[in-house]
Amino acid sequence: MKSKKILYLLLVLILLSTFLSGCRTKDTSSDQSQKDKNKIATLSYAVWDKNQEPVMRKLAEEFEKTHPNVKIKVQLTPFRQYWTKLETEANGENVPDVFWIQGPRFQKYAKAKLLMPLTDRIKKDNIDLNNYPQSLIDLYTYKNDIYAIPKDWDTTALWYNKKIFDDAKVPYPTDSWTWDDLRAAAKKLTDKSKGIYGIAAPQEDQQGYYNTIPQCGGFIISEDGTTSGYDKPESIEGIKCWIDLIKDGSSPTSKQLADTQPSNLFESGKLAMVFQGSWMIPEFTKNEYLKDKVDLVVMPKIKKRVAVIHGLGNAIYSKTKHPDEAWEFVKYLGSKEANEIVAKSGVVIPAYKSVLQIFIDANKGYNVKAYVDELEYSYMYPHSVDTAKWNQIELKYFTQVWNFQMSPEDACKKIAEEMNEVLRNEKK
Amino acid sequence: MKKDVHKFKLNYSKILVHLILILGVIFTITPFLWMILTSFKTLTESTMIPPIIIPKRFCFENYKDAVSTLPFLTFYKNTIISTIAKTVGQVILCSMAAYSFARIEFPGRDIIFILILSVLMVPGQIFLLPQYIIIKKLGLLNTIGALILPGLFSAFGTFLLRQFFMTIPKELEEAAILDGCNHFRIYWNIMMPLAKPGLTALAIFTALWSWNDLLWPLIVNTSNEKMTLSAGLASLQGQHLTNFPVLMAGSVLAIWPMIVLYIIFQKSFVEGIALTGTKG
Repeated sequence: MKSKKILYLLLVLILLSTFLSGCRTKDTSSDQSQKDKNKIATLSYAVWDKNQEPVMRKLAEEFEKTHPNVKIKVQLTPFRQYWTKLETEANGENVPDVFWIQGPRFQKYAKAKLLMPLTDRIKKDNIDLNNYPQSLIDLYTYKNDIYAIPKDWDTTALWYNKKIFDDAKVPYPTDSWTWDDLRAAAKKLTDKSKGIYGIAAPQEDQQGYYNTIPQCGGFIISEDGTTSGYDKPESIEGIKCWIDLIKDGSSPTSKQLADTQPSNLFESGKLAMVFQGSWMIPEFTKNEYLKDKVDLVVMPKIKKRVAVIHGLGNAIYSKTKHPDEAWEFVKYLGSKEANEIVAKSGVVIPAYKSVLQIFIDANKGYNVKAYVDELEYSYMYPHSVDTAKWNQIELKYFTQVWNFQMSPEDACKKIAEEMNEVLRNEKK
Repeated sequence: MKKDVHKFKLNYSKILVHLILILGVIFTITPFLWMILTSFKTLTESTMIPPIIIPKRFCFENYKDAVSTLPFLTFYKNTIISTIAKTVGQVILCSMAAYSFARIEFPGRDIIFILILSVLMVPGQIFLLPQYIIIKKLGLLNTIGALILPGLFSAFGTFLLRQFFMTIPKELEEAAILDGCNHFRIYWNIMMPLAKPGLTALAIFTALWSWNDLLWPLIVNTSNEKMTLSAGLASLQGQHLTNFPVLMAGSVLAIWPMIVLYIIFQKSFVEGIALTGTKG
């Protein structure tokens, strides 16, 4: 009995001590904020990608070297929780001073006045926005103000497994390929007895129909962001071309692709070709099985050459306590020097155009230039204020199309109707 | 003759029971085995189709990578401190509250109890924002205290223990009053020892929930020095690419204390869960 009492007492003590330790840390943090007011500005920089964290830390260190009065704290939150955290912090008015933003969520944040407009500062400091792809500048412009400096970008290209092509005696894809060439080759490459498919036609937006719809001459959202383009016959073509590949038997069914991601099939030598975003470069070129057998080429042309581009931006919290220091940091992150460091890491494609050669050289042996070539005809990632809402609508109907429960025509009409409704409500 | 038939029947049903149990074991143990096997694979092996079950070479590099990219010792420390504090806090605070709801008549008791119960009806995410703002106003953001404070008390624990206390015969208490016990003595010396199965169940649930809690630590704390295991592990997931072998190695490192704890307290675990199954 006595020993039990001692145990309880001990536990109570632990409990109390944690409380006290909590209080103590509170004191130190207020000490720190005291110091901030005097001299050193501490900026928090929120990022979500583990693979890029080391590069981001390096950039922060480099910046601190030239700015001894600023300290940067890089905060890594996994992508899935990043936005929940940011929204909670926004309600508590405690958002990180500088943070990554992505296209689909940008307008929502700009509209909620969480982002600091950068237009005047850009003019004052003579930043040349021509150093970045125009479509990314457009992406982060809302009502004539720019709110983020592009950080990186990604497009989609066609990867292929040379060994499967050699075995089937089919010539490799070239940059003059059309969709018909792709379709014919995929048919020839498919060998069901070996479990090999010519290509994967997954239900994907950025790596799929966001490219083919404009390639057929359609569009997802009008340039002024008021109407959906899904009911245009050209847009429907851009969906049909994927379904054709499944009908041909050249692609696994959507059910099979739901079980196993196309990238995994490709890495296992079960796919001859696959459309993949540029973020897959490190994955494929470091894969022991693939690295000697793989290369890539620009997407085949349908009616014209178009590639959807998306990229992240560095944005500043509108209510940051250190707007000038935060701007200095964002300016540094967008500088040629910082982009060179990113380019050398080879993890993502840097936004600064003149350092792209460094990125290409960092991936010798692979035609990663394909991604860069697509820049010329790239168009801004489709988005509006409530992007997530119509993304849900796309998902709902396209799942039925990919499972052959609905025709592409019917689905696209439905999507256009519901998406227009969402867009109308946005304006209210 | 009769006996033989009976014996045969018994064996038959035993085989059936065992078959079902073995199936259950396979279902529950496969994910664990898969996690352990994956933690020894190379990245290439882990993405192969058809899946490679046994890695060619057991590589421990994944464990090295996990430990070198994440401060595991700090994570252990933070997780253990917050788990112990929350568990002790809940057992003491909830049992005190439960005792007063079960045994002391005071004005407004039922209304307060209904209020506490209503907390159970609301999904947890709704508290996220108000709790965050409270923690911020207390100046506790990015501290261990922030991990602990909202988990010190729970409506669930109060409800569970109140129901448990209600089942303890009143006569025991009356005898204690005759002997001159006050409420605190009754609570501490009579009710608490009798409520041990209920307390164990609550302790187990709290510990498990605290160990696995993901969203709250990620939202309220920002630096690695103040993260828990589950939150720290989640950061190994990239947006597009995840090194699963390293993630699995980290997961093995994160769950072994709970498995050891389970093996030690297996009996209480089963009893505790069976208990809440019937009472809760």
